[in-house]
Amino acid sequence: MSVFVIIYYTLLLGASCLAAYFNKRSAFLLLFSLTLVSFVLGIVGGVPALKFVAVSAGLLAMAAMVSYGFREFLVAISSVNMAKELRTAPLTAGFGMFVIFTYAVAGIFAPIIAPFGEAQVITSAFAPADDTMLLGADQLGRDMFSRIIYGARNTVALALAGTVLAFFLGALAGLLAATTGGLFDQFLGRMSDVIMSIPSLIFALLMLSIFGGDLANNTTSFWLLVGFAAVVGVLMVAAISESSIIGWLIGLAVMAGFATVFAGFMLTIFNPSEVILVLVVAVIYSPRVFRLTRAVAGNVVVMDYIEAAKLRGERKWYLIRREILPNSTAPLVAEFGLEFCFVFLLIAGLSFLGLGIQPPTADWGSMVRENATLISFGELTPLIPAAAIALLTVAVNFVVDWMLYRSSGLKV
Amino acid sequence: MGDILGLVAKRLGLGLIILLIISVIIFFMVELLPGDIASAVLGQGATPENLAALRKEMGLDQPAIVRYLQWLSGAVMFDFGNSIVTGESVTETIGERFANTLFLATYAAAIAVPVSIVLGVIVALLRNTIFDRVANVATLTSISSPEFFLGYILILYLAVNTGMFPAIASLREGMDFFELLHRTFLPALTLVLVVTAHMMRMTRASIINLLSSPYIEMARLKGTPPWKVIVKHALPNAWAPIINVVALNLAYLITGVVLVEVVFVYPGIGQALVDAVSKRDFPVVQACCLIFAATFILLNLAADVGAILTNPRLRHPK
Repeated sequence: MSVFVIIYYTLLLGASCLAAYFNKRSAFLLLFSLTLVSFVLGIVGGVPALKFVAVSAGLLAMAAMVSYGFREFLVAISSVNMAKELRTAPLTAGFGMFVIFTYAVAGIFAPIIAPFGEAQVITSAFAPADDTMLLGADQLGRDMFSRIIYGARNTVALALAGTVLAFFLGALAGLLAATTGGLFDQFLGRMSDVIMSIPSLIFALLMLSIFGGDLANNTTSFWLLVGFAAVVGVLMVAAISESSIIGWLIGLAVMAGFATVFAGFMLTIFNPSEVILVLVVAVIYSPRVFRLTRAVAGNVVVMDYIEAAKLRGERKWYLIRREILPNSTAPLVAEFGLEFCFVFLLIAGLSFLGLGIQPPTADWGSMVRENATLISFGELTPLIPAAAIALLTVAVNFVVDWMLYRSSGLKV
Repeated sequence: MGDILGLVAKRLGLGLIILLIISVIIFFMVELLPGDIASAVLGQGATPENLAALRKEMGLDQPAIVRYLQWLSGAVMFDFGNSIVTGESVTETIGERFANTLFLATYAAAIAVPVSIVLGVIVALLRNTIFDRVANVATLTSISSPEFFLGYILILYLAVNTGMFPAIASLREGMDFFELLHRTFLPALTLVLVVTAHMMRMTRASIINLLSSPYIEMARLKGTPPWKVIVKHALPNAWAPIINVVALNLAYLITGVVLVEVVFVYPGIGQALVDAVSKRDFPVVQACCLIFAATFILLNLAADVGAILTNPRLRHPK
């Protein structure tokens, strides 16, 4: 029996007695079951196990304090209406927002925060941590910490781009299908059924096997981008100009120009293999967005005010923009968060398999794979990028959970 | 009974049609390649004679539709042609691996299904207590973690630090069953963690949904004991959603298995697929994708059919 064990049990028992005395039933249950679990753990694992429990409880308490502080900070700086909403957020949502904020800062200011460049070789392979390198070096002697910071920029940006594209395609098609109905609606619905009946990782692997190798060059990715933009553009033109021929001609011309600019823009940000990855992800996840948008918009389309707007002679684009979208924002925003998680995990998985983001670009998925040998020596470092992936996904999920609960239309 | 048979037959037919469309997609996506497979295999340094010879050998001189029908009729008999890289028969390469993958998935499911259903029901009965909230956060964390994260954590703590289980799930001939279970425990546990979280959440949601229906309230109000409310009133109606949950998550196992096999170097079909994708061995990729998609559709079908068969309203039509 060390001093630590005595203090540990005294604190736990004291706290549970206090909770019981003040009739805090749930707190008492939690504390007392923790005490019972500690008995078992203490017998099985000895003092280290108890220390582990104490450290995790401390960490949890710290996370709770940070989330509380961050939520109050957000309440303090936002407008009256926003503040009222934010006050209802549970602590988990506060924690999620804090983590997302931290990642955003790390991603945007990566070159300033990171002490070394992302592909800069500074020392020997797997050098241990010292004053200049917080987490040691990776398998080529690059600074692990800098690469993790840069990874926040590369991995998250890619996942965000994929989600945005999937949303553009899926949501536009869904809104159009809901307002048009008929054969068009049926056709899109069946198409999304087929795409969704192939497991997403398998479909991604199939497409990457085709567009990999020599094909991942500037020309192919440029034309694929133009093709994607053209599909989105045709849907948009169809929504705006309906049956006027002149409208279609002008729309198609504008769209062609826009598609080229978009493709050029994407190619300046990402390299060709990343562009293909983004497009593959967008194609795989757009049917899910389509399904949800179609369902949500389908409920709005049958409302009386839509009928009134139609009788007023409003056009489809007006209906979509001014009547349907404002009434379906909440579930769509929550869906965006959920899709982001799926896309992020898919891209991380593909990079882990060595088929996603290509070296020397720093990326969390491939970093885990490259440094996995360290794990057999009992090192924790290779797990940090994987933990970074998990933490961001958990954080987004926490925020989404709160949003879903708030927009009660989709209670889980 | 005629109604049910009709419904089931309709679902089966629909599944078959979707599988057919998917086979078309899988086959013709490869046709999208500029040039053809032959030039993709030989690369830019190929001479015209070599190209022509390879085309002839692979039957590429015939139109695409003929080749598709040949491929499809072969696939129905489990003959997927020969690998481009090794030249061996695809079926022989992946046949044994598919059995290994099925074993791993069954192992994981055998643990995950009972555990998650029991836990899901308990959490649903304790809803809105602190335990429910802790379970919510724990399952959400498990779902959000990539499979390789969970896998490496298990390797670090259960294999490297304590040495209880082997870190690499390699198989060899003549292992007895318990050694097999021991060797493949870590990959199975990784899958169990992910799938249990999903299943628990879905079971909880469907049970809560059920417990809020009027007839449960009625049973409570007339003084039925709580266990009887669950066993006699809730459970008969809960089978449909539970079967649905199980089948959907078994389908989820299929995607998870790819990453887990790579982490644990397990000789399964997922690893074969990943290798084939990086080597661009199209016949193997096509075969693996078709097998995965077929299993996925089959499990989804099972969910549908199970839901129909366990629905008391359909079994006893008015």
